[in-house]
Amino acid sequence: MVEHDFRNFFRYKWWLVGLISMNLADLFIMAIVYNIILEPSLSQQIGGYFKFFAPGLAVTGLFASAFMIGREINMERRREVHHYMLSLPMTRIELAVGRVLSGGLRGMVYMSPLLATCFIFLGLPNVWQFLLILAVLFLLAIGISGLSITIAVSTSSLEKFITARGLVYYTLFFCSSVFYPLSLIEELGRDGKFPAILVTLAEVNPLSTASDMIRNFLLGYPPFSFVSLIGVVAFSVLFTFAAAFGYMKIIERQ
Amino acid sequence: MINIPYYFQYYVAGLSVMSLYSAAIFIGFDIYEEAEHGVFEYLLSLPVSRKQLVLGRSIGGGLRSFIYVGPLIAISLYVIGAINPFSFLVTLFALFLFSFGVSGMSITIAVLIKSSDRFDIFMGVLDALIVRLSTAMYPLAYVQQANPLYGWIASFNPVTFAADLFRWGTGIEKIMTLQNPLLPFLGVVAFFGLFTLFGVTIYERMIEGGGWQ
Repeated sequence: MVEHDFRNFFRYKWWLVGLISMNLADLFIMAIVYNIILEPSLSQQIGGYFKFFAPGLAVTGLFASAFMIGREINMERRREVHHYMLSLPMTRIELAVGRVLSGGLRGMVYMSPLLATCFIFLGLPNVWQFLLILAVLFLLAIGISGLSITIAVSTSSLEKFITARGLVYYTLFFCSSVFYPLSLIEELGRDGKFPAILVTLAEVNPLSTASDMIRNFLLGYPPFSFVSLIGVVAFSVLFTFAAAFGYMKIIERQ
Repeated sequence: MINIPYYFQYYVAGLSVMSLYSAAIFIGFDIYEEAEHGVFEYLLSLPVSRKQLVLGRSIGGGLRSFIYVGPLIAISLYVIGAINPFSFLVTLFALFLFSFGVSGMSITIAVLIKSSDRFDIFMGVLDALIVRLSTAMYPLAYVQQANPLYGWIASFNPVTFAADLFRWGTGIEKIMTLQNPLLPFLGVVAFFGLFTLFGVTIYERMIEGGGWQ
């Protein structure tokens, strides 16, 4: 199953090259300009926007690529390719978990050049930190892949899937510390300029946890606690089960 | 956070132009849809010349993107606060030409590339570069300060022309980064003229004898 999904993934190699180029344009154009625009006090606090944004970019890339599996499953569902899937010599649960795992692994493969770029410009973590970064990003990738499959099996058309993807993307990214520090969101929340519920979402958002963990290891800020990883584990487990259950339901439907 | 006064208003104005650009690009995807579903043959059988066909498509693509982005432009104007009616009419005309130009560019690239996947990739990369290397998100002085090459590209970017004209059209001094609107206006007219001309020429050549397939 994983091999099948990886073959599909590399069929879109030019699409991936395009996506990486877009991500790098964000880093080498937008982040460099924002480096200059930021208030000096904030810039000093975060060590420059370029450095701040690089870990966020790796998480952005991970999200985009891990989410691709949903688009494929939505297409398979509409074209009834699942009849072929059901004929394969494996159980339903193996099939469903295989799809979630391969979606997550594809996300890791795509994200690796972005993470390497991050290490090149920000420095290397120690071995344990590196392994923890990989483990957390893998859990996150599986959660995103599961979320994507859950949406794919709940939407009947590609347009609905793309609309739902947009909503999820904007909610998860703009209520996270991927683009701006969590302390800033909390400050806006305290001043009443940002709804409290969105501040809470930003605090428990697994994208914030992953970005801030990499920042802590490479830049020394913001503070990182292992307790925050519970959110990533919960996100991953929840959406792996939701995706597996939804996928099994949908492929057995007449 | 941002060291630019009234950055929120500045960004909102740029966001309208970015959305207009993205919406106008969509006409290119329609070309592939039509080719795939056989609608192209029907269009070719209509009693209109090839030139009229491509001009109609550019204008249609531009107009529908305007309808799509219209509410966002209205919200932008509300957020920015006020408008200078004369400047805004000039700007609106320039934005129409800009969206027709983007539609023409999208059609030209779509008929040249012939593969919807490659088109999707190419437009994604172009979108990333053309929007980030413009004044849609930040003023030109900062782009030039970041990298002179970026600044040079941004100075000749149609998105820069449209974004600066939109801000000028509001007449709000605090977010204006443009003293003379004539140059960006001429830039938008040149962009529209170039891609309409290219679009007509290339479309005419590519569609004869099933060349669009």
